[in-house]
Amino acid sequence: MNTQSDKNIVIVGAGHAGGSLAAFLRQYGYQGRITLIGDEASVPYHRPPLSKAWLKGEIALEALYLKPQTFYDSQNIELVLGNRVVTLDPKEKVVYLSGGESRDYDELVIATGANSRRLNIPGSDLGNVFYLRNLEDAKKLAEGLRVCSRLAVIGGGYIGLECAATARAMGIEVTLFERTPRALERVASEPLSAFLTRYHATKGVEFCFEASVAEILGADRASGIRLTDGRVFQCDAVLVGVGAVPNTELAVAAGLECSNGIVVDEDCRTALPSVFAIGDVAMRPHPLFQRNFRIESVPSAMEQAKRVASYLTGKAASAAEQPWFWSDQYDLKLQMVGLLGDANQHVVRGDIESGKFCIFHFSDDRLVAAEAINASPEFFAAKKLIGVELAEDKARLSDMSVPLNEFIK
Amino acid sequence: MSHQEYKKWQCATCGEIYDEELGAPDEGIAPGTRFEDIPDTWMCPNCGASKSDFAIYVG
Repeated sequence: MNTQSDKNIVIVGAGHAGGSLAAFLRQYGYQGRITLIGDEASVPYHRPPLSKAWLKGEIALEALYLKPQTFYDSQNIELVLGNRVVTLDPKEKVVYLSGGESRDYDELVIATGANSRRLNIPGSDLGNVFYLRNLEDAKKLAEGLRVCSRLAVIGGGYIGLECAATARAMGIEVTLFERTPRALERVASEPLSAFLTRYHATKGVEFCFEASVAEILGADRASGIRLTDGRVFQCDAVLVGVGAVPNTELAVAAGLECSNGIVVDEDCRTALPSVFAIGDVAMRPHPLFQRNFRIESVPSAMEQAKRVASYLTGKAASAAEQPWFWSDQYDLKLQMVGLLGDANQHVVRGDIESGKFCIFHFSDDRLVAAEAINASPEFFAAKKLIGVELAEDKARLSDMSVPLNEFIK
Repeated sequence: MSHQEYKKWQCATCGEIYDEELGAPDEGIAPGTRFEDIPDTWMCPNCGASKSDFAIYVG
């Protein structure tokens, strides 16, 4: 194996993609230099608990780390934290950090992620208007929720829904405002959205759909919101979750093509030699589909990190995976796999009203996606079955007396 | 029977810990089952990541 002990790999961004890449490189036998640069003060950590267990105060900071601090020393990974790369010089193969330091590289991987899309309406900068992307955001949000009795959530995506669930668990009144006709409009099916909305409603969340927020009201702290239709709602804190914008500034300035993310090929290579991009910032042709995606998920970040680690160590790439995702809200475990795009029919296994079911989505007879609620066995089976033509088995999926492994031939 | 210490493994995707001493009885994995003896098709019970996404946990 070519251990390349004289090489120098620099990773810009110490989030899930960047942090995982550093670990995979060592795991795959790379013995050269690794420099992992991140603008946050913390070592790489899991973001998903920030809207759930961590926000509820159920776990400590150290439990969030992808790897303990000692890992980076013992694996000889140079950590440069609390520092931002401000310029990339692809000709000289150098990156410059704020504060003037620089690092040479043989291979560079940009894993700068994405940041919360900011609301740009009057009142957006009032105190107790919160976003949730990173640990610092989460600390501020946690403090704000401690003194909050009524929360306005702007955005019906995963951040909005998960925070609504957590706030309800903390006894906070919640009203959620979503611009489109349903929650998770971009990523979930209509029956799943409908179920989640009903479930949240039974837990006390009030919803306003097709609701655009015109203004956040208040003197120096948010005390209400006004919709474009004139309706006004009281609140004493606001949580905004209206999407994420890829951090492409470094790449743009270096002349890389960016279009809703840094454009890369299947191996996550940019057009510049020795420059890669992975994670939430990467716009990449998914190996299993005929189009480009910028996927914002932990599983995708991990898959791309593995892909680049394989590429750089001469290891064969692992088989591509269908995109998948999970979300925990109250006692609901939502797990989904595949893409809904081509779906034209679905079969439900289980009982939606009982909150334990899996919706299998088909494009004619081919399984293209599945959405499971508290149905891990169905989710695991669907992960293996995506892409398979099920034909007469399609209807039998809804028959709970037929064991799942009958479908996996 | 091996008297080697039981190890812990962590899912790199979601952080879930598999403790060899405890096993995962809800999924038919008896307490004391070594990680390498778990079927390769096993997935993280929390998030669904594959077995290959787990690494030794030193915590």
